[in-house]
Amino acid sequence: MTAPVQPHYPHPSADDPRIMLDAQIGQYEQVPPYPPRTEREAEFYTLGDGEMFLNMGPQHPSTHGVLRVVLKINGEKVVDLDPVLGYLHRGVEKLCENSDYHHIISQIDPLEYVSSLFMEWAPVMAFEKLMDVQVPRRAEYIRVLTGELLRIASHALFQGWMALDLGGLTPILYSFIERDEIVEMLAAVTGQRMLFNYFRIGGVNGDLNHEFMSRLGDWMSRAAVQHEANIGLLNENEIFVRRMRDIGRVDRDTALRMGVTGPNIRAAGIPFDVRRAHPYSVYPELEFNVPVRGSNGGGDSLDRYLLRLDEVRESIRIIDQCLHEMPDGPVMARLPRLMRPRPGRAWAAVESPRGLFGTYVISDGTDQPFRFRIHDPSFVHLQLVGMLMKDNLIADTMAVMASLDPVMGGIDK
Amino acid sequence: MDRTLRTRLAAKLADRLTGPIRQRHDQTEIRIRPADLIEVMRVLHDDPELEFVILADLAGVDTGDTMQVVYHLWSNKTPDWLRVIAEGLPRGDPRAPSLTGLWPGAEWMEREAYDMLGIVFEGNRDLRRIYMPPDYKSFPLRKDFYLPDDSARGPGGGVRHVEEPYAPLAATTRSIRRTVKA
Repeated sequence: MTAPVQPHYPHPSADDPRIMLDAQIGQYEQVPPYPPRTEREAEFYTLGDGEMFLNMGPQHPSTHGVLRVVLKINGEKVVDLDPVLGYLHRGVEKLCENSDYHHIISQIDPLEYVSSLFMEWAPVMAFEKLMDVQVPRRAEYIRVLTGELLRIASHALFQGWMALDLGGLTPILYSFIERDEIVEMLAAVTGQRMLFNYFRIGGVNGDLNHEFMSRLGDWMSRAAVQHEANIGLLNENEIFVRRMRDIGRVDRDTALRMGVTGPNIRAAGIPFDVRRAHPYSVYPELEFNVPVRGSNGGGDSLDRYLLRLDEVRESIRIIDQCLHEMPDGPVMARLPRLMRPRPGRAWAAVESPRGLFGTYVISDGTDQPFRFRIHDPSFVHLQLVGMLMKDNLIADTMAVMASLDPVMGGIDK
Repeated sequence: MDRTLRTRLAAKLADRLTGPIRQRHDQTEIRIRPADLIEVMRVLHDDPELEFVILADLAGVDTGDTMQVVYHLWSNKTPDWLRVIAEGLPRGDPRAPSLTGLWPGAEWMEREAYDMLGIVFEGNRDLRRIYMPPDYKSFPLRKDFYLPDDSARGPGGGVRHVEEPYAPLAATTRSIRRTVKA
């Protein structure tokens, strides 16, 4: 008989503060309680009288991706919460720093899968600034046209998600009909339904074709009517409205200090829209309003929801103008295949359906960027949830979080 | 390019700038020392002629020799984006003051810069890792962090002066050994 094999893992000692999760494999628990690292963590993970922790996620259907939220609750009231990110982290910035300038467009596409054309738009604009590229006007119009179509698709999906999170099952089906029509339309011109990979440095990949134009004409003839019908589904639903009203109010000063952008800041009463605040592409030539909602006290969840519906109307106006004013000409600038921009720095920002989406690029003269920074609006907006949820009910977490319209793909990069 | 912004910035911040004000396309760029960061940002935010109220981005940058924190600001008083570069943070111990007193929304962006590059923002009350697991020790966006599965490397690979593609062992151990008290 041989002697039993001794396990080689270390035994937990009495003074080790961590909890042994599985003594057989020597795995430690990776969640608190471990010694707190920061002031805020110490404050959050200390329970008061009658309080308890509740883990929501990472597989919760209403978190729009893979997000874990640690709620500190007292009965049904949320006292505080701590979002835990990183479940979807792919290191897109590092990947982009190791890809050449053309390759980045396809690397960054799946970053935020709901509005991926905007994810292409910002880096492409930054590279064009870096290389002093003049984009043909037809290409700019095509970018605006496809971008606004995708904005409508994204907002339509938001409307459905919002209702789904509050327990309404029907609107998401109508949202997907709306979105599917647009996505099929874009698939006709880009070849892809979701990750379009369509914008190029100096233009777009391919001109508009007959199938796209016929689908678009078909859709445009009923887009406005269809939009009003979709609005009617929810806006007069008393349960929906009363669950959204006076929940998650953001005032103007908070919105500015928290770095909120996009529909969320406009719903708080500040008309900040990158398309007007810092015009890019051909937006200065187009007529559209920047819808603003919210009273003196700021905007609540309902304001944020209604503002996105207002934006769809404006997007339909922009598409209409694009179709009428679209010039003829090439859709790509003449550029070399291998790009080595001179050393320099460039920042470009676009108004994505979620807010200011920006990229900061540093070139060192090689064909890959030295530093590629992605700023995603959802990332900033998710910080608000902790602030807005205090003293609300657990069920309202969803009404607040969904109204901020975060997409975890963008948040986790 | 907004020439008047250049004169306004030069008048308000002349003694704080560490380099010339650069302008290209729609961007104006100033460089400052990290120690002056809070004061410069207060002037940019509060001065009625500047009023940079929106912090559009906060990015950590590892240049290979030193580290930088780069801020992009927006104001209604100028058509330009303003880029503020707090430069010269030592790579061994990069520290910068936190902007959370002025823009509380910078908190997570600073956490991200800490997580990815190890820049410590003094005054940020929640400087934990945000993407990587809490027991992770390295800083992935640093330039000495080797990417093992580097199939995307194009013909420009190996050209750059700061990344050593053929010395993974030394590079990784160096970054893993670094510990930062958060």
